[in-house]
Amino acid sequence: MLKILLVDDDAEFTEVACHIIEFLGHDICTAGSLKEAYEWLENTTFDHIFLDFMLPDGSGLHLIDHLKNSNHESYITLITGHPLVKGILAGLCGPKVNYIAKPLQREDLEQALSRQEKPINAPHKNKTNSRLPQKHFDCLIGESEAMQELYTIISRIALTKANVMLLGESGVGKELVAQAIHNATNVAANGEAEMVATNCGALAKDLIASELFGHEKGAFTGAIGKKDGVFLRASSGTLFLDEITEMPIDMQPNLLRVLESNKVTPLGGTKEIDVNCRVISATNRSVEEIAESKVLREDIYFRLAVFPVSIPPLRKRKEDIPLLAAAFLEELNKEYNRTYQWRAEQIQRLTDYDWPGNIRELRHAIHRAFIMSDVDATNLTLPKDFRSPFSSVSENQHSLSAGRTIEDVEKELIRVTLDDVDGNKSLAAKMLGISTKTLYNRLHSYGELED
Amino acid sequence: MNDHQTNEQSEERDLNQLIHDARGPLNRISMQAELIKLVLENDMPTDKALDAVNKILVSCQTCSHTLEQLSKSAKS
Repeated sequence: MLKILLVDDDAEFTEVACHIIEFLGHDICTAGSLKEAYEWLENTTFDHIFLDFMLPDGSGLHLIDHLKNSNHESYITLITGHPLVKGILAGLCGPKVNYIAKPLQREDLEQALSRQEKPINAPHKNKTNSRLPQKHFDCLIGESEAMQELYTIISRIALTKANVMLLGESGVGKELVAQAIHNATNVAANGEAEMVATNCGALAKDLIASELFGHEKGAFTGAIGKKDGVFLRASSGTLFLDEITEMPIDMQPNLLRVLESNKVTPLGGTKEIDVNCRVISATNRSVEEIAESKVLREDIYFRLAVFPVSIPPLRKRKEDIPLLAAAFLEELNKEYNRTYQWRAEQIQRLTDYDWPGNIRELRHAIHRAFIMSDVDATNLTLPKDFRSPFSSVSENQHSLSAGRTIEDVEKELIRVTLDDVDGNKSLAAKMLGISTKTLYNRLHSYGELED
Repeated sequence: MNDHQTNEQSEERDLNQLIHDARGPLNRISMQAELIKLVLENDMPTDKALDAVNKILVSCQTCSHTLEQLSKSAKS
Protein backbone atom coordinates (compact mmCIF):
# COMPACT_ATOMS: atom_id res chain seq x y z
CA MET A 1 0.00 0.00 0.00
CA LEU A 2 1.37 3.38 -0.98
CA LYS A 3 0.73 6.72 0.67
CA ILE A 4 -0.32 9.12 -2.08
CA LEU A 5 -0.96 12.86 -2.29
CA LEU A 6 -3.15 14.15 -5.12
CA VAL A 7 -2.78 17.88 -5.77
CA ASP A 8 -5.43 19.24 -8.14
CA ASP A 9 -7.94 22.07 -7.95
CA ASP A 10 -10.67 20.16 -9.82
CA ALA A 11 -12.76 18.89 -6.87
CA GLU A 12 -14.82 16.45 -8.95
CA PHE A 13 -11.68 14.91 -10.45
CA THR A 14 -9.96 14.54 -7.06
CA GLU A 15 -13.08 12.88 -5.60
CA VAL A 16 -13.39 10.28 -8.35
CA ALA A 17 -9.61 9.73 -8.50
CA CYS A 18 -9.68 9.04 -4.73
CA HIS A 19 -12.30 6.31 -5.22
CA ILE A 20 -10.20 4.66 -7.95
CA ILE A 21 -6.85 4.94 -6.16
CA GLU A 22 -8.37 3.60 -2.93
CA PHE A 23 -9.78 0.71 -4.91
CA LEU A 24 -6.24 0.03 -6.13
CA GLY A 25 -5.33 -0.48 -2.47
CA HIS A 26 -3.59 2.80 -1.62
CA ASP A 27 -4.01 5.46 1.01
CA ILE A 28 -4.71 8.87 -0.56
CA CYS A 29 -4.84 12.48 0.63
CA THR A 30 -5.87 15.47 -1.48
CA ALA A 31 -4.89 19.10 -1.75
CA GLY A 32 -6.63 21.74 -3.89
CA SER A 33 -3.74 24.21 -3.93
CA LEU A 34 0.02 24.50 -3.39
CA LYS A 35 -0.66 25.92 0.08
CA GLU A 36 -2.66 22.86 1.10
CA ALA A 37 0.00 20.57 -0.39
CA TYR A 38 2.77 22.29 1.63
CA GLU A 39 0.66 21.81 4.77
CA TRP A 40 0.37 18.07 4.10
CA LEU A 41 4.09 17.77 3.42
CA GLU A 42 5.01 19.45 6.69
CA ASN A 43 3.98 16.42 8.72
CA THR A 44 3.49 13.56 6.27
CA THR A 45 5.78 11.60 3.98
CA PHE A 46 4.22 10.42 0.73
CA ASP A 47 5.42 7.63 -1.53
CA HIS A 48 3.91 9.22 -4.60
CA ILE A 49 2.52 12.66 -5.50
CA PHE A 50 0.14 13.27 -8.39
CA LEU A 51 0.52 16.94 -9.17
CA ASP A 52 -1.57 19.18 -11.41
CA PHE A 53 0.63 21.55 -13.38
CA MET A 54 -1.62 24.60 -13.12
CA LEU A 55 -2.85 25.35 -9.62
CA PRO A 56 -4.74 28.42 -8.34
CA ASP A 57 -1.75 29.70 -6.35
CA GLY A 58 1.12 28.73 -8.66
CA SER A 59 2.66 26.04 -10.78
CA GLY A 60 3.25 22.43 -9.80
CA LEU A 61 6.91 23.07 -10.60
CA HIS A 62 7.14 25.14 -7.39
CA LEU A 63 6.20 22.07 -5.41
CA ILE A 64 8.86 20.01 -7.21
CA ASP A 65 11.46 22.64 -6.24
CA HIS A 66 10.19 22.58 -2.66
CA LEU A 67 10.56 18.77 -2.54
CA LYS A 68 14.04 18.88 -4.05
CA ASN A 69 15.14 21.29 -1.30
CA SER A 70 13.69 19.17 1.48
CA ASN A 71 14.27 15.55 2.44
CA HIS A 72 11.19 14.22 0.67
CA GLU A 73 11.89 11.31 -1.67
CA SER A 74 8.47 10.97 -3.23
CA TYR A 75 7.88 9.88 -6.79
CA ILE A 76 6.08 12.64 -8.71
CA THR A 77 3.65 12.35 -11.58
CA LEU A 78 2.67 15.66 -13.11
CA ILE A 79 -0.81 15.82 -14.57
CA THR A 80 -1.36 18.19 -17.41
CA GLY A 81 -4.11 19.06 -19.83
CA HIS A 82 -2.22 21.87 -21.50
CA PRO A 83 -0.69 21.02 -24.89
CA LEU A 84 2.16 23.52 -24.49
CA VAL A 85 3.24 22.12 -21.16
CA LYS A 86 3.91 18.58 -22.37
CA GLY A 87 7.19 19.57 -24.00
CA ILE A 88 8.40 21.40 -20.89
CA LEU A 89 7.49 18.47 -18.65
CA ALA A 90 9.21 15.93 -20.88
CA GLY A 91 12.44 17.80 -20.18
CA LEU A 92 11.90 17.59 -16.43
CA CYS A 93 11.27 13.87 -16.33
CA GLY A 94 13.75 11.58 -14.65
CA PRO A 95 13.73 8.44 -12.57
CA LYS A 96 11.47 10.06 -9.98
CA VAL A 97 9.44 12.48 -12.10
CA ASN A 98 7.13 11.67 -14.99
CA TYR A 99 3.94 13.07 -16.44
CA ILE A 100 0.56 11.95 -17.66
CA ALA A 101 -1.83 13.91 -19.87
CA LYS A 102 -5.54 14.47 -19.39
CA PRO A 103 -8.00 12.87 -20.01
CA LEU A 104 -6.76 10.20 -17.61
CA GLN A 105 -7.66 6.54 -17.44
CA ARG A 106 -7.27 4.05 -14.61
CA GLU A 107 -4.34 2.43 -16.46
CA ASP A 108 -2.48 5.79 -16.41
CA LEU A 109 -2.69 5.85 -12.63
CA GLU A 110 -1.74 2.17 -12.31
CA GLN A 111 1.23 2.63 -14.63
CA ALA A 112 2.49 5.66 -12.72
CA LEU A 113 2.25 3.75 -9.43
CA SER A 114 3.78 0.57 -10.81
CA ARG A 115 7.23 2.17 -10.61
CA GLN A 116 7.06 1.61 -6.91
CA GLU A 117 6.41 -1.15 -4.45
CA LYS A 118 3.69 -3.54 -5.37
CA PRO A 119 0.31 -2.61 -3.87
CA ILE A 120 -1.18 -5.20 -1.52
CA ASN A 121 -4.39 -5.86 -3.46
CA ALA A 122 -2.88 -6.05 -6.93
CA PRO A 123 -0.49 -8.86 -6.27
CA HIS A 124 -0.15 -10.32 -9.73
CA LYS A 125 1.08 -7.32 -11.65
CA ASN A 126 4.61 -6.60 -10.46
CA LYS A 127 7.65 -8.47 -9.23
CA THR A 128 9.72 -7.31 -6.29
CA ASN A 129 13.48 -7.46 -6.36
CA SER A 130 13.67 -9.54 -3.21
CA ARG A 131 15.13 -13.03 -3.56
CA LEU A 132 12.37 -14.23 -1.25
CA PRO A 133 8.96 -15.14 -2.65
CA GLN A 134 6.42 -12.42 -2.33
CA LYS A 135 3.67 -12.72 0.24
CA HIS A 136 0.40 -11.78 -1.39
CA PHE A 137 -2.00 -9.98 0.93
CA ASP A 138 0.85 -10.20 3.45
CA CYS A 139 0.45 -13.94 3.95
CA LEU A 140 -0.02 -16.08 0.81
CA ILE A 141 2.84 -17.49 -1.27
CA GLY A 142 2.53 -18.78 -4.84
CA GLU A 143 2.52 -17.51 -8.40
CA SER A 144 0.76 -20.47 -10.08
CA GLU A 145 -2.33 -19.94 -12.21
CA ALA A 146 -4.51 -21.52 -9.52
CA MET A 147 -3.20 -19.06 -6.94
CA GLN A 148 -3.54 -16.09 -9.30
CA GLU A 149 -7.21 -17.01 -9.68
CA LEU A 150 -7.51 -17.21 -5.92
CA TYR A 151 -5.91 -13.75 -5.54
CA THR A 152 -8.42 -12.28 -7.98
CA ILE A 153 -11.29 -13.87 -6.04
CA ILE A 154 -9.89 -12.50 -2.75
CA SER A 155 -9.63 -8.99 -4.22
CA ARG A 156 -13.28 -9.17 -5.33
CA ILE A 157 -14.49 -10.55 -2.00
CA ALA A 158 -12.65 -7.75 -0.16
CA LEU A 159 -15.00 -5.21 -1.71
CA THR A 160 -18.10 -6.91 -0.32
CA LYS A 161 -19.37 -7.99 3.09
CA ALA A 162 -20.43 -11.45 1.91
CA ASN A 163 -19.87 -14.48 4.12
CA VAL A 164 -17.34 -16.87 2.63
CA MET A 165 -16.93 -20.64 2.95
CA LEU A 166 -13.46 -22.01 2.27
CA LEU A 167 -13.33 -25.55 0.92
CA GLY A 168 -10.12 -27.50 0.65
CA GLU A 169 -8.20 -30.53 1.75
CA SER A 170 -6.52 -30.62 5.11
CA GLY A 171 -3.30 -28.58 5.15
CA VAL A 172 -3.98 -26.32 2.13
CA GLY A 173 -3.90 -23.18 4.29
CA LYS A 174 -7.55 -22.28 4.81
CA GLU A 175 -6.82 -20.06 7.80
CA LEU A 176 -4.18 -18.16 5.80
CA VAL A 177 -6.68 -17.59 2.98
CA ALA A 178 -9.15 -16.29 5.59
CA GLN A 179 -6.38 -13.99 6.87
CA ALA A 180 -5.73 -12.82 3.29
CA ILE A 181 -9.41 -11.96 2.79
CA HIS A 182 -9.36 -10.12 6.10
CA ASN A 183 -6.18 -8.18 5.19
CA ALA A 184 -7.52 -7.24 1.75
CA THR A 185 -10.82 -6.10 3.30
CA ASN A 186 -8.96 -3.93 5.80
CA VAL A 187 -6.96 -2.33 2.97
CA ALA A 188 -10.07 -1.72 0.84
CA ALA A 189 -11.93 -0.22 3.81
CA ASN A 190 -8.85 1.55 5.16
CA GLY A 191 -9.65 -0.15 8.46
CA GLU A 192 -7.80 -1.69 11.37
CA ALA A 193 -10.33 -4.36 12.34
CA GLU A 194 -9.24 -7.72 13.76
CA MET A 195 -9.75 -11.30 12.73
CA VAL A 196 -10.87 -13.72 15.43
CA ALA A 197 -10.49 -17.44 14.77
CA THR A 198 -12.12 -20.37 16.51
CA ASN A 199 -12.24 -24.08 15.77
CA CYS A 200 -15.76 -25.50 15.93
CA GLY A 201 -14.39 -29.05 16.00
CA ALA A 202 -12.25 -28.40 19.05
CA LEU A 203 -14.96 -26.98 21.31
CA ALA A 204 -16.80 -29.07 23.85
CA LYS A 205 -20.49 -29.22 22.97
CA ASP A 206 -21.47 -27.49 26.22
CA LEU A 207 -19.10 -24.60 25.61
CA ILE A 208 -19.88 -23.80 21.94
CA ALA A 209 -22.70 -21.35 22.71
CA SER A 210 -20.57 -19.56 25.30
CA GLU A 211 -17.59 -19.37 22.90
CA LEU A 212 -19.69 -18.05 20.01
CA PHE A 213 -22.14 -15.77 21.77
CA GLY A 214 -20.51 -15.08 25.16
CA HIS A 215 -22.10 -15.31 28.59
CA GLU A 216 -23.07 -13.16 31.54
CA LYS A 217 -21.63 -13.69 35.01
CA GLY A 218 -23.39 -16.62 36.70
CA ALA A 219 -25.08 -17.77 33.47
CA PHE A 220 -24.09 -21.36 34.31
CA THR A 221 -22.01 -23.21 36.87
CA GLY A 222 -18.43 -22.05 36.46
CA ALA A 223 -19.32 -18.76 34.73
CA ILE A 224 -17.47 -16.71 37.30
CA GLY A 225 -17.29 -13.63 35.12
CA LYS A 226 -18.78 -12.06 32.02
CA LYS A 227 -17.26 -13.21 28.70
CA ASP A 228 -17.61 -11.75 25.21
CA GLY A 229 -18.25 -14.29 22.46
CA VAL A 230 -16.24 -14.45 19.25
CA PHE A 231 -19.02 -12.70 17.29
CA LEU A 232 -18.63 -9.65 19.53
CA ARG A 233 -14.84 -9.81 19.62
CA ALA A 234 -14.72 -9.83 15.82
CA SER A 235 -16.91 -6.73 15.64
CA SER A 236 -16.42 -4.87 12.33
CA GLY A 237 -13.77 -7.42 11.40
CA THR A 238 -13.68 -11.08 10.46
CA LEU A 239 -14.81 -14.17 12.34
CA PHE A 240 -13.12 -17.35 11.14
CA LEU A 241 -15.02 -20.52 12.02
CA ASP A 242 -12.76 -23.46 11.22
CA GLU A 243 -14.13 -26.99 10.81
CA ILE A 244 -17.67 -25.63 10.65
CA THR A 245 -19.04 -29.02 9.60
CA GLU A 246 -17.94 -30.46 12.96
CA MET A 247 -20.35 -28.20 14.85
CA PRO A 248 -23.11 -30.29 16.48
CA ILE A 249 -26.23 -30.07 14.35
CA ASP A 250 -28.44 -29.14 17.32
CA MET A 251 -26.28 -26.01 17.90
CA GLN A 252 -26.68 -24.83 14.34
CA PRO A 253 -30.12 -23.15 14.70
CA ASN A 254 -28.57 -20.72 17.24
CA LEU A 255 -25.84 -19.85 14.76
CA LEU A 256 -28.42 -19.43 11.99
CA ARG A 257 -30.34 -16.93 14.10
CA VAL A 258 -27.24 -14.76 14.54
CA LEU A 259 -26.39 -14.95 10.84
CA GLU A 260 -29.91 -13.91 9.88
CA SER A 261 -30.47 -11.17 12.45
CA ASN A 262 -26.90 -9.91 12.99
CA LYS A 263 -27.68 -9.86 16.70
CA VAL A 264 -26.41 -12.04 19.55
CA THR A 265 -27.80 -12.63 23.00
CA PRO A 266 -25.08 -13.83 25.42
CA LEU A 267 -26.01 -16.85 27.57
CA GLY A 268 -27.88 -15.64 30.63
CA GLY A 269 -28.36 -12.22 29.04
CA THR A 270 -31.59 -10.51 28.11
CA LYS A 271 -30.34 -7.84 25.75
CA GLU A 272 -29.57 -8.41 22.09
CA ILE A 273 -26.27 -6.97 20.86
CA ASP A 274 -25.66 -5.94 17.24
CA VAL A 275 -22.79 -7.69 15.45
CA ASN A 276 -21.40 -6.77 12.05
CA CYS A 277 -18.50 -9.07 11.24
CA ARG A 278 -17.86 -11.05 8.07
CA VAL A 279 -18.03 -14.77 8.79
CA ILE A 280 -15.48 -16.94 6.98
CA SER A 281 -16.07 -20.62 7.62
CA ALA A 282 -13.91 -23.53 6.51
CA THR A 283 -14.22 -27.24 6.01
CA ASN A 284 -12.18 -30.03 4.45
CA ARG A 285 -15.33 -31.72 3.19
CA SER A 286 -16.53 -31.22 -0.38
CA VAL A 287 -19.86 -29.54 -1.11
CA GLU A 288 -21.25 -32.92 -2.25
CA GLU A 289 -20.13 -34.54 1.00
CA ILE A 290 -21.69 -31.76 3.05
CA ALA A 291 -25.00 -32.25 1.23
CA GLU A 292 -24.94 -36.06 1.42
CA SER A 293 -23.75 -36.46 5.00
CA LYS A 294 -26.11 -33.74 6.30
CA VAL A 295 -23.46 -32.46 8.72
CA LEU A 296 -24.57 -28.93 7.99
CA ARG A 297 -28.13 -27.69 7.80
CA GLU A 298 -29.06 -26.46 4.34
CA ASP A 299 -30.19 -23.04 5.61
CA ILE A 300 -26.88 -22.57 7.47
CA TYR A 301 -24.93 -23.60 4.37
CA PHE A 302 -26.60 -20.94 2.24
CA ARG A 303 -25.99 -18.29 4.91
CA LEU A 304 -22.34 -19.20 5.35
CA ALA A 305 -21.44 -20.04 1.76
CA VAL A 306 -22.70 -16.87 0.09
CA PHE A 307 -19.36 -17.09 -1.67
CA PRO A 308 -17.80 -20.58 -1.60
CA VAL A 309 -14.07 -20.61 -2.42
CA SER A 310 -12.14 -23.77 -3.26
CA ILE A 311 -8.47 -23.74 -2.31
CA PRO A 312 -6.33 -25.87 -4.64
CA PRO A 313 -4.33 -28.78 -3.17
CA LEU A 314 -0.54 -28.47 -3.40
CA ARG A 315 -0.26 -31.22 -6.04
CA LYS A 316 -2.35 -29.01 -8.38
CA ARG A 317 0.14 -26.14 -8.06
CA LYS A 318 3.51 -27.85 -7.97
CA GLU A 319 5.23 -24.82 -9.48
CA ASP A 320 4.70 -23.11 -6.11
CA ILE A 321 6.65 -25.76 -4.17
CA PRO A 322 10.09 -24.13 -4.79
CA LEU A 323 8.70 -20.77 -3.59
CA LEU A 324 7.15 -22.30 -0.48
CA ALA A 325 10.31 -24.30 0.25
CA ALA A 326 12.43 -21.13 -0.05
CA ALA A 327 10.12 -19.22 2.28
CA PHE A 328 9.96 -21.99 4.92
CA LEU A 329 13.74 -22.46 4.89
CA GLU A 330 14.29 -18.72 5.20
CA GLU A 331 11.96 -18.62 8.24
CA LEU A 332 13.87 -21.45 9.91
CA ASN A 333 17.28 -19.96 9.03
CA LYS A 334 16.18 -16.70 10.61
CA GLU A 335 14.81 -18.38 13.71
CA TYR A 336 17.90 -20.54 14.34
CA ASN A 337 20.51 -18.20 12.85
CA ARG A 338 21.61 -20.65 10.14
CA THR A 339 22.39 -20.18 6.44
CA TYR A 340 21.18 -23.41 4.82
CA GLN A 341 20.43 -23.30 1.12
CA TRP A 342 18.50 -25.55 -1.24
CA ARG A 343 20.24 -27.57 -3.93
CA ALA A 344 18.49 -27.85 -7.31
CA GLU A 345 18.05 -31.63 -7.00
CA GLN A 346 16.50 -31.24 -3.55
CA ILE A 347 13.93 -28.79 -4.90
CA GLN A 348 13.26 -31.28 -7.72
CA ARG A 349 12.62 -34.06 -5.17
CA LEU A 350 10.23 -31.83 -3.24
CA THR A 351 8.43 -30.94 -6.46
CA ASP A 352 8.17 -34.57 -7.60
CA TYR A 353 6.37 -35.65 -4.43
CA ASP A 354 2.57 -35.29 -4.30
CA TRP A 355 2.26 -33.96 -0.71
CA PRO A 356 -1.12 -35.48 0.18
CA GLY A 357 -0.96 -33.54 3.46
CA ASN A 358 -0.47 -30.38 1.38
CA ILE A 359 1.46 -27.32 2.61
CA ARG A 360 1.29 -28.41 6.26
CA GLU A 361 3.06 -31.66 5.34
CA LEU A 362 5.66 -29.85 3.19
CA ARG A 363 6.43 -27.42 6.02
CA HIS A 364 6.67 -30.31 8.48
CA ALA A 365 9.04 -32.26 6.20
CA ILE A 366 11.30 -29.21 5.78
CA HIS A 367 11.29 -28.59 9.53
CA ARG A 368 12.21 -32.25 10.16
CA ALA A 369 15.04 -32.01 7.60
CA PHE A 370 16.25 -28.77 9.20
CA ILE A 371 16.51 -30.40 12.62
CA MET A 372 18.34 -33.43 11.22
CA SER A 373 20.86 -31.42 9.16
CA ASP A 374 24.50 -30.94 10.11
CA VAL A 375 24.93 -27.57 11.84
CA ASP A 376 28.19 -26.87 9.96
CA ALA A 377 26.85 -27.82 6.51
CA THR A 378 25.58 -25.29 3.99
CA ASN A 379 22.85 -27.53 2.58
CA LEU A 380 19.89 -29.19 4.18
CA THR A 381 19.76 -33.00 4.43
CA LEU A 382 16.45 -34.26 3.12
CA PRO A 383 15.09 -37.63 4.32
CA LYS A 384 15.09 -40.50 1.80
CA ASP A 385 11.34 -40.86 2.07
CA PHE A 386 8.90 -38.01 2.61
CA ARG A 387 5.95 -40.28 3.37
CA SER A 388 4.44 -39.97 6.81
CA PRO A 389 1.96 -42.48 8.32
CA PHE A 390 -0.80 -39.97 7.63
CA SER A 391 0.24 -39.21 4.09
CA SER A 392 0.41 -42.89 3.10
CA VAL A 393 -3.23 -43.27 4.18
CA SER A 394 -4.16 -40.27 2.10
CA GLU A 395 -2.09 -41.55 -0.79
CA ASN A 396 -3.87 -44.89 -0.72
CA GLN A 397 -7.24 -43.20 -0.72
CA HIS A 398 -6.07 -40.95 -3.47
CA SER A 399 -4.79 -43.83 -5.61
CA LEU A 400 -8.31 -45.04 -6.30
CA SER A 401 -9.03 -42.56 -9.03
CA ALA A 402 -10.49 -43.00 -12.48
CA GLY A 403 -7.98 -43.83 -15.19
CA ARG A 404 -6.05 -46.55 -13.31
CA THR A 405 -6.19 -50.16 -14.49
CA ILE A 406 -7.56 -52.98 -12.34
CA GLU A 407 -4.15 -54.67 -12.48
CA ASP A 408 -2.53 -51.48 -11.23
CA VAL A 409 -4.92 -51.14 -8.30
CA GLU A 410 -4.59 -54.87 -7.49
CA LYS A 411 -0.81 -54.52 -7.40
CA GLU A 412 -1.09 -51.50 -5.11
CA LEU A 413 -3.49 -53.34 -2.78
CA ILE A 414 -1.13 -56.32 -2.51
CA ARG A 415 1.82 -54.00 -1.80
CA VAL A 416 -0.05 -52.06 0.92
CA THR A 417 -1.28 -55.29 2.53
CA LEU A 418 2.21 -56.80 2.56
CA ASP A 419 3.59 -53.59 4.07
CA ASP A 420 0.92 -53.78 6.74
CA VAL A 421 1.86 -57.31 7.80
CA ASP A 422 5.61 -56.81 7.50
CA GLY A 423 5.85 -59.00 4.38
CA ASN A 424 4.10 -62.05 5.88
CA LYS A 425 2.66 -63.58 2.67
CA SER A 426 0.37 -66.14 4.34
CA LEU A 427 -1.23 -63.45 6.48
CA ALA A 428 -1.43 -61.03 3.53
CA ALA A 429 -3.12 -63.72 1.37
CA LYS A 430 -5.63 -64.36 4.14
CA MET A 431 -6.38 -60.62 4.43
CA LEU A 432 -6.75 -60.34 0.65
CA GLY A 433 -9.08 -63.37 0.51
CA ILE A 434 -6.88 -65.33 -1.90
CA SER A 435 -4.73 -68.45 -1.51
CA THR A 436 -1.04 -68.10 -0.71
CA LYS A 437 -0.30 -69.75 -4.05
CA THR A 438 -2.33 -67.12 -5.91
CA LEU A 439 -0.47 -64.37 -4.06
CA TYR A 440 2.87 -65.93 -5.06
CA ASN A 441 1.67 -66.16 -8.68
CA ARG A 442 0.65 -62.52 -8.68
CA LEU A 443 3.96 -61.38 -7.20
CA HIS A 444 5.80 -63.56 -9.71
CA SER A 445 3.92 -61.96 -12.61
CA TYR A 446 4.77 -58.48 -11.27
CA GLY A 447 8.42 -59.51 -11.07
CA GLU A 448 8.44 -58.70 -7.36
CA LEU A 449 9.05 -62.21 -6.03
CA GLU A 450 12.40 -62.22 -4.39
CA ASP A 451 12.47 -65.54 -2.57
CA MET B 1 8.28 41.72 -32.55
CA ASN B 2 5.49 43.51 -34.50
CA ASP B 3 1.78 43.80 -33.58
CA HIS B 4 0.83 41.06 -36.04
CA GLN B 5 3.18 38.57 -34.40
CA THR B 6 1.98 39.61 -30.92
CA ASN B 7 -1.65 39.06 -31.98
CA GLU B 8 -0.83 35.64 -33.42
CA GLN B 9 0.88 34.58 -30.20
CA SER B 10 -2.02 35.86 -28.13
CA GLU B 11 -4.49 33.93 -30.31
CA GLU B 12 -2.42 30.77 -29.92
CA ARG B 13 -2.41 31.20 -26.14
CA ASP B 14 -6.20 31.66 -26.13
CA LEU B 15 -6.62 28.57 -28.30
CA ASN B 16 -4.41 26.50 -26.01
CA GLN B 17 -6.31 27.77 -22.99
CA LEU B 18 -9.62 26.69 -24.60
CA ILE B 19 -8.19 23.26 -25.40
CA HIS B 20 -7.01 23.02 -21.79
CA ASP B 21 -10.48 24.01 -20.59
CA ALA B 22 -12.06 21.32 -22.76
CA ARG B 23 -9.74 18.66 -21.35
CA GLY B 24 -11.00 19.35 -17.81
CA PRO B 25 -14.53 18.00 -18.37
CA LEU B 26 -13.15 15.27 -20.68
CA ASN B 27 -10.88 14.18 -17.84
CA ARG B 28 -13.84 14.07 -15.43
CA ILE B 29 -15.87 12.07 -17.97
CA SER B 30 -13.02 9.60 -18.41
CA MET B 31 -12.50 9.07 -14.68
CA GLN B 32 -16.23 8.83 -13.93
CA ALA B 33 -16.49 6.18 -16.68
CA GLU B 34 -13.62 4.27 -15.02
CA LEU B 35 -15.51 4.45 -11.73
CA ILE B 36 -18.67 3.05 -13.37
CA LYS B 37 -16.56 0.20 -14.77
CA LEU B 38 -15.25 -0.57 -11.29
CA VAL B 39 -18.75 -0.52 -9.80
CA LEU B 40 -20.13 -2.88 -12.46
CA GLU B 41 -17.15 -5.23 -12.47
CA ASN B 42 -17.15 -5.59 -8.70
CA ASP B 43 -20.85 -5.61 -7.83
CA MET B 44 -20.52 -2.42 -5.80
CA PRO B 45 -23.59 -0.30 -4.88
CA THR B 46 -25.09 1.11 -8.09
CA ASP B 47 -25.91 4.51 -6.58
CA LYS B 48 -22.23 5.43 -7.08
CA ALA B 49 -22.53 4.51 -10.77
CA LEU B 50 -25.72 6.53 -11.16
CA ASP B 51 -24.08 9.52 -9.54
CA ALA B 52 -21.14 9.14 -11.94
CA VAL B 53 -23.49 8.98 -14.95
CA ASN B 54 -25.16 12.26 -13.88
CA LYS B 55 -21.75 13.91 -13.50
CA ILE B 56 -20.75 12.69 -16.97
CA LEU B 57 -23.88 14.33 -18.43
CA VAL B 58 -23.01 17.64 -16.74
CA SER B 59 -19.41 17.46 -17.98
CA CYS B 60 -20.65 16.76 -21.53
CA GLN B 61 -22.59 20.03 -21.41
CA THR B 62 -19.54 21.91 -20.07
CA CYS B 63 -17.37 20.43 -22.79
CA SER B 64 -19.93 21.33 -25.46
CA HIS B 65 -19.99 24.92 -24.22
CA THR B 66 -16.17 25.13 -24.42
CA LEU B 67 -16.21 23.74 -27.98
CA GLU B 68 -18.74 26.42 -28.97
CA GLN B 69 -16.37 29.07 -27.65
CA LEU B 70 -13.56 27.41 -29.57
CA SER B 71 -15.65 27.52 -32.72
CA LYS B 72 -16.45 31.22 -32.22
CA SER B 73 -12.80 31.97 -31.56
CA ALA B 74 -11.79 30.22 -34.80
CA LYS B 75 -14.36 32.23 -36.80
CA SER B 76 -13.37 35.63 -35.36
